[in-house]
Amino acid sequence: MSGSDRLTSEHARRRGRRRLILRKVLGSILTLIFVLVFNFFLFRVVQTDPIGSLFRGRNVPAETLENLRTAFGLDKPIGTQFLFYLKETAQLNLGISYQTRQSVWDEIVVAIPPTVALVGVSAVLSAVIGTLGGVIAAWRRNTWKDQSITSGTMVFYSMPDFWLGMIMLVLFGVVLGWFPVGGMTDAGSNETGLALLLDELYHMFLPALTLTLAYLGEYTLVTRSSLLDVMGEDYLTVARAKGLRDVVVRNRHAVPNALLPVVTLTAINFGFVLSGAIAVETVFSWPGLGKATADAIRGPDLPMLQGLFLLFSAAVIFFNLIADITYSWLDPRVEEI
Amino acid sequence: MKRIVVVLAAAVLAVSMVPIASAQEEGDLVTLRVGLTQDWDGLNPALNFSVPSYDVWNLHYATLTDKAADDFATIPGLAESWVVSDDGLTYTYTLREGLVWSDGESLTAEDIAWNINTARDQGWDNMISTVQNLDATVIDERTVQITSSVPDPKLPTMDMYLVPKHIWEPIATDYDAATEYEAVDGVGSGPFILENFTKGQSVTMDVNPSYWGWEGEEPPYDRIVFQLFENPDAMVAALQQGELDVIHGFPAGSWDALEADPNIEVVSGLQGGFDQLAINGGALPDGQPHPALLDLEVRKAIFHGIDRAAVIEDLWYGHASEVEAISPSANPIWIPDIPEADSFTYDPDLANQILDDAGYLDTDGDGIREMPDGTNPIIIRHAVNTDGDLAPSIGELMVGWMEAIGIGVELEAYDQDTLYGVTAEGTYDTFFWGWVPFVDPDLMLYYFTAAELGNYNDSNWTDPTYEELYVEQNQELDPERRIEIVHEMLTIFHDAAVYLPMYLGPDLQAYRADTFEGWVKQPADIGPIVFSQTSPSYVLLTPVGGGAAGSDTNWLLWGGIAAGAVVLVGIFLASRRSGTKDERE
Repeated sequence: MSGSDRLTSEHARRRGRRRLILRKVLGSILTLIFVLVFNFFLFRVVQTDPIGSLFRGRNVPAETLENLRTAFGLDKPIGTQFLFYLKETAQLNLGISYQTRQSVWDEIVVAIPPTVALVGVSAVLSAVIGTLGGVIAAWRRNTWKDQSITSGTMVFYSMPDFWLGMIMLVLFGVVLGWFPVGGMTDAGSNETGLALLLDELYHMFLPALTLTLAYLGEYTLVTRSSLLDVMGEDYLTVARAKGLRDVVVRNRHAVPNALLPVVTLTAINFGFVLSGAIAVETVFSWPGLGKATADAIRGPDLPMLQGLFLLFSAAVIFFNLIADITYSWLDPRVEEI
Repeated sequence: MKRIVVVLAAAVLAVSMVPIASAQEEGDLVTLRVGLTQDWDGLNPALNFSVPSYDVWNLHYATLTDKAADDFATIPGLAESWVVSDDGLTYTYTLREGLVWSDGESLTAEDIAWNINTARDQGWDNMISTVQNLDATVIDERTVQITSSVPDPKLPTMDMYLVPKHIWEPIATDYDAATEYEAVDGVGSGPFILENFTKGQSVTMDVNPSYWGWEGEEPPYDRIVFQLFENPDAMVAALQQGELDVIHGFPAGSWDALEADPNIEVVSGLQGGFDQLAINGGALPDGQPHPALLDLEVRKAIFHGIDRAAVIEDLWYGHASEVEAISPSANPIWIPDIPEADSFTYDPDLANQILDDAGYLDTDGDGIREMPDGTNPIIIRHAVNTDGDLAPSIGELMVGWMEAIGIGVELEAYDQDTLYGVTAEGTYDTFFWGWVPFVDPDLMLYYFTAAELGNYNDSNWTDPTYEELYVEQNQELDPERRIEIVHEMLTIFHDAAVYLPMYLGPDLQAYRADTFEGWVKQPADIGPIVFSQTSPSYVLLTPVGGGAAGSDTNWLLWGGIAAGAVVLVGIFLASRRSGTKDERE
């Protein structure tokens, strides 16, 4: 191959990758637009009167209800409501919550940090620990280490997370009394700064442990099977033949090549970080997006639900995009698919 | 690896130290800790309406008149006395001397008049029904005159929460501004003042030394903390552990465990809330039920086929109460006595007999009766509220009950929003839902008038006599006579067999007897101890033994240290093992 040939092929590959990324970005935007439209009609498949059920049993004159229907635009035809929704959403105005009469965006924003902290920490911990476990399990295949790691993580993986959460809560919160049974801080304490942060970490311990244990199995299994595939490859035999130490063969040659599917899994799971963990947040009374969703469904509070669904979808779409792009960067063969 | 171990160890130690700090802080203040499972929708008294918000307002805002703990009788509040004009339309209230808001500003007649007139003019959701016919005038600093344009039996009760004019006037310029205000300014006139509100988590309230009701005496405790639990079992555990002093809304299944605890008392508090099985009465031409249901005899037979005692026993573990006529008020005085002979006692044989006698026979032997002319089998559409806790179970039970009397049931599932639409339009035959009334019965009575057809008149039923009596009670100023009229109305409604109250649903509450004492039920004997209409318990409570209620729990500290130690040892062992492995390799 001459020098200019190599240059052309390098150029073509870059262009190919750029085209791939562009296509993925466009695809993501289209998906988001679809979600936006679908979202609106999903909640209006059945024609309902949220004001009617919201004010049931409250001493409010009929004309007040009529005024509210007008204020929320519920008296307008569905087409007009849809156009209004598109216009407002495009301006990042998600509307006013039926239940609290506060801006949906404000209501959502306060629930984001608790969820990102809890689910984010658990996602990172389970990815790191789960991958390490998978590496050990594969490298020591069919030993007691492999068996205890694989079956241990599978036990937690197959348990419903709310059930695992209840067991944690009863054991460490009630029987042993080591950790609080719910909430994000000690109610009624006036802590600030470091003391507040520590209090929050203390409250986060059990729910984070639950979620970490629940997610571990996924990473362990994917890493283990991916590494087992790689372990049969010739280049590992070559590496060993060169006389490299076992640990070097594992860490430098085997693991990096086995990590591709784990990277995808991690990126996709991060997309779900925002959607929270409705069940675990509920078990531990954690005031995050999962709880906000449960409350909005109970209403039902359509503007809240629309806003939350939009946020969740956007997060998943964004992280899928990141996964696609990372993958094509890590594994150049992807552009040919 | 070593560095990671050290960092982790530091973090774990730090975390295990936390309980020391919070326990010490709590030790300075005597705190009442309340656990609940329903979130606050907000704290704006003009607009929000969740049950927990009402208890915050009961503590934060004093009212012009108060309600007696026993029977909701109108008693002096901010007003120490009042006189009524001869025509019964004008009340002149005299305020107590030296009233102040918690920020030190004087609380005067000007505050009262501004609240009433502004709520009326701007149409504040929670106040408009109370004040729409009222006009308030300031006579002098301690005298305010309230005139009603129509005779109003609710007066002299003025139980609207009064917000501080000096804070609100610049904010509440119109309805939108008033209802968008978050109202966490922390200025009030009640026994406890809002200190902190963290939505979805907790409300903290500190004692207000200038509340008129303390009458110059030292308030018996310092702080109330409401803590929200999404998980009711965790709340029950927290009470058992002594982390809470009282809980509201625990699952009926936990009753026995709580009752068995010698330090815990359980309360099944009634304040008028009931659930009903309703039959479509067919008042709307476009909302017709199965034609058989238009026959009073068929409706009676259906009600005789419903086993309410079993529902109380099986779904409420025996903790709900039987009731025959609907309860229009938190005060049981408004419920009429229905003679035994007219009661819809569970009797499937009687139900079958009634249907046989009325000519609804199963002519084709398929187990389902037909109309007297032999056509149109009686298969009814039962609407199930999928948001209701018990509604799905009641739906299943309904199928069995009706099968026993030869009536078919098709279950149709709706969420709460949709069910409201279905009941408003009358496109159902039966459904199960509930109500929680206020103290004054007017609103519940109003729901079953013709004016509410297509809206909250969900039994789709009207009656001319009921209609006349409604208007009469609405302006009847003699309390005794008004009760008589209401009893008559509810007896008519009962006998029409469209609305069968299944039970009075209780608020299940429990408190620790070893931390605070002086709990009172509102109304007397049967009511709940907290989250009642005015929640009088809070100002009457005293710590057991005169202080240090909810004393510091050292086990929390030791537990934290023990947990930290266990984790540390684990990390140490793990690091050693991987270390030796690396060396070996």
